[in-house]
Parts: sequence; structure tokens; C-alpha cells
Amino acid sequence: MENLIYSEILQNNSALKDSIKGPVYKISVLSNVVVHSIKEILEYSLRIRQINPLVELGNYDNIVQDSLKCKDSHLVIVFFDMLNIVDVFFEDLSEEMYNSLKSKICTEIDTVLENLKDHPSVIFNTFSSHCFVSSYSQQSLIEKFVGQLNVYLEEKKGINVILLNIDKIFLQTGIRQAIDFRMYNSSKAPYTLLFFKKYTMAIEPIFLKNTGKSKKALIFDCDNTLWKGIVGEDGIDKLDMSRLSHSGRFFYKIQEIAVYLSKKGIIIGLCSKNNEFDVIEVLKNHSDMILKEEHIAVKRINWEDKAKNLISIAAELNIGLDSIVFVDDSSFEISLIQKQIPEIVSLQVPSALYEYPDFLLQNIYRYFSLKANAEDARKTEIYKQQSEREKEKQNYKTLEEYLSSLEIVLTISEGDIKQLERIAQLTQKTNQFNLTTKRYTETEILHIMNSDQEHVFSVFVKDKFGDNGLTAISILKTDRQNQKICNIDTFLMSCRIIGRNIEFVFMDYLVQWIASHNFASITSEYIPTAKNRQVQDFYESNGFILIENKEGHKNYRLEVSVYKPKNISYITTFISVIKR
Amino acid sequence: MENTKNQIAKVMSLVFQVPIESITEDSSTDNIESWDSIKHLNLILALEEEFSITIPDEEAGNLVNYKLIEMIVNECKK
Repeated sequence: MENLIYSEILQNNSALKDSIKGPVYKISVLSNVVVHSIKEILEYSLRIRQINPLVELGNYDNIVQDSLKCKDSHLVIVFFDMLNIVDVFFEDLSEEMYNSLKSKICTEIDTVLENLKDHPSVIFNTFSSHCFVSSYSQQSLIEKFVGQLNVYLEEKKGINVILLNIDKIFLQTGIRQAIDFRMYNSSKAPYTLLFFKKYTMAIEPIFLKNTGKSKKALIFDCDNTLWKGIVGEDGIDKLDMSRLSHSGRFFYKIQEIAVYLSKKGIIIGLCSKNNEFDVIEVLKNHSDMILKEEHIAVKRINWEDKAKNLISIAAELNIGLDSIVFVDDSSFEISLIQKQIPEIVSLQVPSALYEYPDFLLQNIYRYFSLKANAEDARKTEIYKQQSEREKEKQNYKTLEEYLSSLEIVLTISEGDIKQLERIAQLTQKTNQFNLTTKRYTETEILHIMNSDQEHVFSVFVKDKFGDNGLTAISILKTDRQNQKICNIDTFLMSCRIIGRNIEFVFMDYLVQWIASHNFASITSEYIPTAKNRQVQDFYESNGFILIENKEGHKNYRLEVSVYKPKNISYITTFISVIKR
Repeated sequence: MENTKNQIAKVMSLVFQVPIESITEDSSTDNIESWDSIKHLNLILALEEEFSITIPDEEAGNLVNYKLIEMIVNECKK
């Protein structure tokens, strides 16, 4: 993105325009300055990630008014720039003026945050004083002012608001490359094209997360990627990843990063042309290795081509190819993957090794969503248990026998507010076993939980191999026209618990709950996407009657009285009552 | 020189979202409907990146037709 000039972005953007289908992702940009040049740059950055954007720019200096008008946008971005707040020489401001200006801005912040409080996702840029010249050694009045506004923003913002530290962009580009005083003077348009390119890159992880497109797995080659040297040629003793050596230290740092990511819920894997035995030997016995087998969820160490191996890694982990980032030192391998599997982000180890750790980190912050919750931290462990289960599967003759040997226990709760973050995350990330693929933010889930007419059910799953955590969700909504009808708005399961008949036990429970709350019938739907084909007949298999089928989008109805429960005896269910 | 002409036409067509064939030596704010003040701003920024030039503040308002754009771009490239 930053390597493209504006005319190339315009050209590529209009070329992509008609090829990106799918639900529209609407972004409203509110600003107190002119930011129109961001439109096509932002659209393009979404389109290359297969998101279908609609970018709407608010009116000039109308943040407060426009914050009322973007109810149906998926993302709101607020540019509240100091340049257009202060047009007097600030340093000589009287205390009275200072306070009245501060209270005016704080009131505007309050109003905007209030108007946007139910909004799914808001990016609010921090205030910056870097456009103003100040002394190196003393805090200027405007620096003090900006500091106070940022503290105020931090205190007042809701969980739906992300503060984007705009100073970090200024720092990267230099203020003279980011701010064009000429254009600010003539058109109130302070930001340069370079700034907008950097800015869209900075917010990319936010819209990737919101649309369920954050990357999930980071797959490394081994030789000259995790360590210096080639194990098959140089031998294990000659490999260098020592914190104390000239080039080894960079690989040491790469391993530190990989270990950190495995704790943050990112899947770490290896894909290398080597003898598997040699690599295992390094992992187990090289004294400088800090990346160990326990951090690695998946391995393909063989002489097959890497495209094939990466496809098989995606299949084993049950994730899409577009969820993978691949790192390799060989330009041959990188261009092979770029050509054969363009969905995979492939990164080549920089030839200047001292740039390698920062290069990797920049890409990690760009593509992955690192906010850790308890589920994420345990992901590597969970994926490992998954393979143990797969092995155990082979020992049993029938699937039923195998499933009953697992000793599966479900714990179902309704309105579990402590799990808000995980519930929203599941709606955002689950693609395969997801009947309607409706994405919700934490704020939206909170609203649903607080409504009398709507209910969120969450399921914890464990078995004798371990705890899968919260892995299934359903949202029920009372029909607005008919209080006797209950609609299944969302029914989804994480891919790690697919294939164990848990969905049928959960459905039995939901129908029983619906019956006990005096509903006569249930409506539901299947909305087809590129990834959820495996559940296209799910409602049929539960006895729902197909009412309508419009190009694969199916609507169902079920009379509660005729539902036949599956009564699966080998799965134990507990109902957890949440005190509210 | 030919190349500069083509490049200017390309940038104008992309910024104003009109077919490149419709850009001629006579194109101006009078006959390109989408050429408003916002698009004008984008045009200047696009030309600057395209030719690695800086268009002086006092010239920015003068780029109101194809011929003037070509003249000023060539001036700035010197």
C-alpha cells in the first residue's frame, strides 16, 4: 500500500470494484477537517482483503452532528484534529480561555461518545500537538492541553471505542511528510497521501478483526528463518540462534516473538524441507532453542512442495488458507506460495538480518488480533488435544463408541456477561459451523443480553482430553410480530468441537428451553457463505420444515410440539444458572 | 513529452472517474462535470506523486484545464 502512488491506488481500486461481492461493510468518517482523499485509499485497503466497502465522509467540521447520522455503519472513524480547534496563538492563552476551550471540547467529546455509544465499532484518533512548534525542554501549553484531552478520552470512552495513537504515524513519517500546511491553508485538508496510506495500514487490524478476517496461524520455515544455518548440511552444532552471537541474536528474538504469540492464542507451525528427525532433534536438544515442541501446534517437515504442505496444514487446523501467514528466507518458496496460494500472506526474511525482528513484528501487528483472553492463551494446548483425539478415534470401531469414550460434558449458560468478549469473538471468527454468520461486537452482545426479548446461550465443552472452553453460541429472539414465535438468530460452533454431535445436544436443550418459555413455534434460517456449506442441511436434520429457499438462503419453521429430541446419552449436560 | 501527456491524461481520468479517451487538450473545469473542489485537491496530490514534484501554493488554483496542467507540471519538473 505505501509503495503505491495515488493514481495506482485509484486504478487498482476501480479495477477491484466489481469483483468484491459479499455483505457491504459501511464506514463513516467524521472529521473537523477535510479528509476526502482517504476514501479511495481506504476502499482499496478493504477490497484487497476481500471486504466490500462503502465509505461515507461526513460534512466538514460536523463531528457532533454527523455522529447522530451513522447508526447503520459498521465502523465509525473520528478525525478530531487540534489544527482546527486552535486558531489563536495558544501559548498566550489566559487561564480562563484555556478552561473554557477545554470544557467546550470535553462537552463535544461527551456528546460524540454518547451518540456513538451503541455503535458496534468506533476508532477515535488521539489528539496531537505535533503540528505545533514547541520547545525541546519545556512542556508547552498546547502539549498540556492535548495531554489532558487524551486522558479525558481514555476515561470516558466505552468498550466499543478504540483510541488510535496518531502520534505513532507522525513519528513514522515525520510531521512534514504527514501534514501539508499548504493544503490545510487553502482547503482545510491537512493530511498528506502518505499519511492516509499509513493510517489505513494502522487501522487494518481493526477492520480485519471486525469482519472475522484476522489471521490465525503463523507458519515458519526452519533453516535461516528460525536459526542461522542449514541443519541438514551444517549439522546441529553449527546452527546459530544464540542471544550472544552477532547474527544468532536476531533469530533468538524471532523465537522469543514466536513463543510470545503462542501464549497470545496465535497458532505457531513449521513448514520446512528437511528430514523431520533432524528438526525434532534441534527442537529437543539444541541448548539455545527457546521455541520448543510445546509451542508448536502443527508441523510439515518433509520434501514435498510447500504449497501442498500449507494446504494440508490449513486442513488439519480446520482454518482457511486466508488465515495463514508464512515466513521463509527463500525467494523461490515465497514466490511459489504467492503465485499458487495468493490468499496466504507470505513474508520473506529480510537480507539485512537486523531488520528481521521488527519486520516480523510490524506484520504481526498488522494482520493478527492479539488481545488475549483465557481461550486464546490455551489454543496451542487445545489444538494438541485435538490431534490426540484424532489418534484415539482410530482405536474405535464406530463413531458412537468413540464419542462415548470421550466423556463429553457440556455446561450451558444464558446471559453470561463475564464471557462477553469471547462470545463476540466467536461470532466474529466462526465461519464454518455458522448458520447465519452474523457478526456482533461486544457492545451489541451486551445489548442483546440486556433485552427481555433476546437471549444469548453459551456452551462450555470439555472431555477427558481437556477443556475446550466456550465453543458454541446461540442467540434467540422473540418474533416482533408474534410473541408465540421464537427465532434462532445465531447458531454456531467453533471448528474445534465439530463432529461430536454436540450440536444436537445443544439443539435439544434450546428447543426444550423455548418450549418451557411458552413459545409455540420456532423460525430459523440458513444463510449461505463461501465457508458454511457443511451446515446447509443442519435444520433439515433436526426436523425443521423448509418454508422458502431463495438461491440457497433457506427459511425454516418448526412447531415445538412435534420436535423429536435426539437424547444423546453419552454427552452429559449441565445448566449453569447465572445470577444477575 | 508524449509520456507526460499520457500520464496527465491517465491521472485526470482516474481522479475524475471519466474514460481516458474523453480527456483532450480542451478538457477543463467547464466540461468535466465531476471536477469539483474536492476532486481538484485530489488532482493536485495525485499529480505531485505521479511526477515527484511539489506544485507551489500560488499555482495550485490555476490548474483549471489540461493545457495549464501540462505547462505547470513541466515547469515544476525543471
